[in-house]
Amino acid sequence: MIYPKRYDVIVIGGGHAGCEAALISARLGVKTLMLTIFLDSIGAMSCNPAIGGLAKGHLVKEVDVFGGEMARNIDETGLQFKILNKSKGPAVWSSRAQADMTAYKLRMKYVLEHQENLDIKQETVDEIVAENGKVIGVKTHLGNEYLCDSIVVTTGTFMKGKIFIGLNEYRAGRAWEPPSEKLSDSLRALGLRVSRLKTGTTPRLDARTIDFDALIVQPGDDEPVPFSFKTTKFNRPNMPCYLAYTNETTHKIILQNLDQSPLYSGMVESVGPRYCPSIEDKVVKFFEKKQHQIFLEPQDENSSEIYADGLHTSLGYEVQLKFLRSMKGLEKVEIMRPGYAIEYDFVDPTQLKHTLEVKNVRGLFLAGQINGTSGYEEAASQGIIAGINAAFYIQKKEPFIVNRNEAYTGVLIDDLVTKGTKEPYRMFTSRAEYRLILREDNTHLRLAKKAFDAGLMSKEQYLLIDEQKKKIEETIKKLKTTYVFPNDRVNKKLLELGSEIIKTKTDLAKLMRRTEFNYDKLRELAVGLEDIEPFIKQEVEIDLKYEGYLNLQKQQIEKFKKYEDMRIPEGFDYNLVGGLSNEVKGKLMEIRPTSIGQAGRIPGVTPAAVAILVVHLKKVNDKRIRNTA
Amino acid sequence: MYDDDIIAAIATGYAVAAIGIVRVSGRGSLEILEKIFTKKPPYEHRKIHYGHITDSNGEVIDEVLVSVFKAPNSYTGEDSFEISCHGGLSVLNFVLERVFEAGARMAQPGEFTKRAFLNGKIDLSQAEAVEKIISSKSKRALFIAQRQLAGKFSSRIEQIREKILFLMAENEVIIDHPEEDLSFVETKEKVNMLVDIKKQLKSILKSSQYGDMIFEGVVLAIIGKPNVGKSSLLNILTGTSRSIVTDIPGTTRDVVSETFNIKGIPCTILDTAGIRETNDVIENIGVQRSKKALKEADIVIAMFDASNGLDERDVRIINYAVKYSNKVVGVVNKTDIKKAKFRLPFDKVVEVSCKNEAGIDKLEDTIADLVINLENDSDIVSLNANQKDSLKKGINICDKLIEDFQRGVDPALIGVDFISLADSLDDIVGKISNEDMLDTMFKKFCIGK
Ligand SMILES: Cc1cc2nc3c(=O)[nH]c(=O)nc-3n(C[C@H](O)[C@H](O)[C@H](O)COP(=O)(O)OP(=O)(O)OC[C@H]3O[C@@H](n4cnc5c(N)ncnc54)[C@H](O)[C@@H]3O)c2cc1C
Ligand SMILES: Nc1nc2c(ncn2[C@@H]2O[C@H](COP(=O)(O)OP(=O)(O)OP(=O)(O)O)[C@@H](O)[C@H]2O)c(=O)[nH]1
Ligand SMILES: [Mg+2]
Repeated sequence: MIYPKRYDVIVIGGGHAGCEAALISARLGVKTLMLTIFLDSIGAMSCNPAIGGLAKGHLVKEVDVFGGEMARNIDETGLQFKILNKSKGPAVWSSRAQADMTAYKLRMKYVLEHQENLDIKQETVDEIVAENGKVIGVKTHLGNEYLCDSIVVTTGTFMKGKIFIGLNEYRAGRAWEPPSEKLSDSLRALGLRVSRLKTGTTPRLDARTIDFDALIVQPGDDEPVPFSFKTTKFNRPNMPCYLAYTNETTHKIILQNLDQSPLYSGMVESVGPRYCPSIEDKVVKFFEKKQHQIFLEPQDENSSEIYADGLHTSLGYEVQLKFLRSMKGLEKVEIMRPGYAIEYDFVDPTQLKHTLEVKNVRGLFLAGQINGTSGYEEAASQGIIAGINAAFYIQKKEPFIVNRNEAYTGVLIDDLVTKGTKEPYRMFTSRAEYRLILREDNTHLRLAKKAFDAGLMSKEQYLLIDEQKKKIEETIKKLKTTYVFPNDRVNKKLLELGSEIIKTKTDLAKLMRRTEFNYDKLRELAVGLEDIEPFIKQEVEIDLKYEGYLNLQKQQIEKFKKYEDMRIPEGFDYNLVGGLSNEVKGKLMEIRPTSIGQAGRIPGVTPAAVAILVVHLKKVNDKRIRNTA
Repeated sequence: MYDDDIIAAIATGYAVAAIGIVRVSGRGSLEILEKIFTKKPPYEHRKIHYGHITDSNGEVIDEVLVSVFKAPNSYTGEDSFEISCHGGLSVLNFVLERVFEAGARMAQPGEFTKRAFLNGKIDLSQAEAVEKIISSKSKRALFIAQRQLAGKFSSRIEQIREKILFLMAENEVIIDHPEEDLSFVETKEKVNMLVDIKKQLKSILKSSQYGDMIFEGVVLAIIGKPNVGKSSLLNILTGTSRSIVTDIPGTTRDVVSETFNIKGIPCTILDTAGIRETNDVIENIGVQRSKKALKEADIVIAMFDASNGLDERDVRIINYAVKYSNKVVGVVNKTDIKKAKFRLPFDKVVEVSCKNEAGIDKLEDTIADLVINLENDSDIVSLNANQKDSLKKGINICDKLIEDFQRGVDPALIGVDFISLADSLDDIVGKISNEDMLDTMFKKFCIGK
């Protein structure tokens, strides 16, 4: 039947991308429907029971500022919280939390169910219906047709999903959930290029059969810090993880049974992530390593299932059991669910705009693993951008685009739509050119205005953040204009504080730049410096200590922006540009960059080609100006 | 159009050398190689292949070494190869003809460079510099440019690049994968690697000074007391009658300059007023200018008259030459009248007769030798001002990084300095992309929690 209720936005999928897309779209006031294969797995974590981590923590916090749910959700359901890289500079601090997977998904479902403007239905979408290059609705496996103006597709690993355990093969979207067999054909029919990727997961073990005393305990931080800037009450447990090691026997077992691996026997040919290799790969490629770390992580506060991080495998069940039991502490272990590899359809993301809308089909947005990424956080950040833009499309508002110089989200999306990906794409801090500025700690400071202007943040929240910003600026100004003098009291104090004496009048900002100094030490030295909240202290310290480097990055950003601001008009005809090779022309016509900056980031587009383009565009512009004058 | 056909040229035209090179570039050029070369594929990139070039009947033309450079990692960015042949021009010409027969066409002047530019192998300013020089002055510059980017130089660059990549990748692993149990290179070793990178950069900078002479041309100044034959020599070398020759001492009163080639090296030669004490005002100004020219010259030709012995004015010339230049060629002229009875205190002395045009070849060889030592021709690089600047910047950043490592600076900040290093060396080591870095990271480190 044609369903009588008409929707503005339909979100296909209830994973991390789908949840954020559906929530933000509904929160922005447009009528939204989520269609997903299995309601009980809304917000499910297919793989590791953790949120955040290096560079991913950044994404979670950005989603939070843009009005998303991931940060709040983990703050309510985390089992341990940790800031990684605390010993290194603030630019690379990253938050991570172990999650209670069950609590996480239940809370997410609850939030969705209590969201105004959002309906949720358990149905598998088989077809996207488009007319005249515009989406008009979807058809589901129940024969229902839902009409809408915009669609966000977030199918994760489900499209033509195929699971491998040893030499056995099963059709499934994740573990034993049914796959989506038809949707990718419908996408192909719309003209999209679809190919295959693979990933894998680890066996889940029974905690009752693990000798934890033989393992190394890995607790979280004693003073956990929440992800969301909105979280006020925060009281979560600190459940430990455990560290185990493979050994030479483990490796031998794996090597002897490689013929049992679909990856090595040639059954699976698609590409998996290099940063997340299977244990088979690790043992083969890093033959000289005598042991590999395995992190045993709780999946759920109330369950015995333990996730064995570092043991992604697609070896047969028998081999999995055998090599697991060769490890210290796991001699008697029982597998509850085996590890497996999964192969699935994804869409080449260079077919998308920065809004995540498909270039050739109006109203069709794609987000999450379908775009060739991997990871919950990567999915969530795309979900929120696609959801916002789907809603703005309905509301006829300007697209919401996040740039590389503003957020990790911007880096992620720009990489995808400009360069595409050959393996499941994961965020790294090294992908962000301006990583000293795009820190986790200042996420809300740097993005609040953008979020508020787009209507993604309430006025109260914005004002609160704005106040923090002002306080930081004031304090820095104060430190730069408050001086201490080289008298006995000051120099004695300096020595006491483990620092060196001063010989001339010195401002406090300068002292702050000394490695051993912080705001509290300055207070001991200079009378009348007020106590401020720890967050302000931290930001002031970072800003001053890294001032030189931060300024350097700001300059680099200016240079970057210059090229981003050189816009290439939509529908620009590259055939009119003389001197471009056919290869370069082909690439430019395929990606259709919106700016000279983006054009330069397309692989294969040479600096010379960019120079030629700049000259051409300048000529065109000059002519236009002359003609209109 | 340009990426459709295959171009070829003799790349060592005027050099007197034991070998000559024919260079071929274009999509499909390796198929030409297959046709004319006894060694059959595979032709590995950046490898030298030994064999014979044969004519269409299979008769051997020459025994050769062929270096193969595959797209995009060649000077032009296209598939290309260089045939190093034995012997003289005629063999080279036979080989070139054979290449044409197999489907290539003659390259236009500067065409290799043009392709390199269009394929993004060199930037606009470089291409311009190269083109300008080629079209105006000398072909040799082009050969050097080609060799610089395709030959020995690129392997040197590759080494630097790999070292930088390794260090960068390690730094990123330390940041992005804090929980992996990886063993890292010790600080001392990292510092050593940086010291080595710095050393290499410095040596490139030094070789570029030779490149400068070839690209920007060599300035020669002829000095000598009046009437020794300076203007006569200029006229012979340049093949003109640009400078007035008379038997009146003090004929040339100002500096006369003329441009010509010695073995493909663009030269500007300055004929000066004979240096002598004089009361003639005009001549005196000329003499002052001569002294200035002397200071600016790369090479000084100090000229003497064999038919007269050395007098105190000649001694003054000798002193001037030695004081102002470290590259002096002594020339003894008018040997047709009389053999010289004196010995000049210079490393290089050539006896000539301008009248009979004798000894001029020897003089040209001597000058060429001072510009390039043919043995390390392939070490010579030509860099533009920007590139030299970048090199210097790179050298400074190496110093900073060495200090960073020794002080144990935060890896995130070290990361910034590495990016600056890679950026500053973009032109020279080739762009280091994030993908390159990740590649190295995953290849060298077992990552994957
Ligand atoms: C085996 C495995 C191993 C993984 N390993 C890692 C890892 O090591 N590290 C890492 O960071 N990430 C890993 N991931 C990836 C991570 O789980 C995903 O990146 C993330 O969950 C993607 O989120 P998503 O919203 O795009 O899709 P998913 O979370 O997969 O959600 C897809 C949703 O779409 C629904 N759906 C699909 N098709 C249809 C349809 N036709 N109609 C209606 N609904 C549909 C599904 O029911 C599901 O709710 C792994 C995933 C799997 C399955
Ligand atoms: N016999 C003989 N005469 C020569 C030779 N070279 C030059 N002369 C003559 O020497 C005279 C001076 O030659 P120039 O070339 O004008 O000498 P110059 O050094 O330029 O002289 P000023 O410009 O006056 O300093 C002319 O008459 C030449 O013909 C030579 O090799 N042999
Ligand atoms: Mg003269």
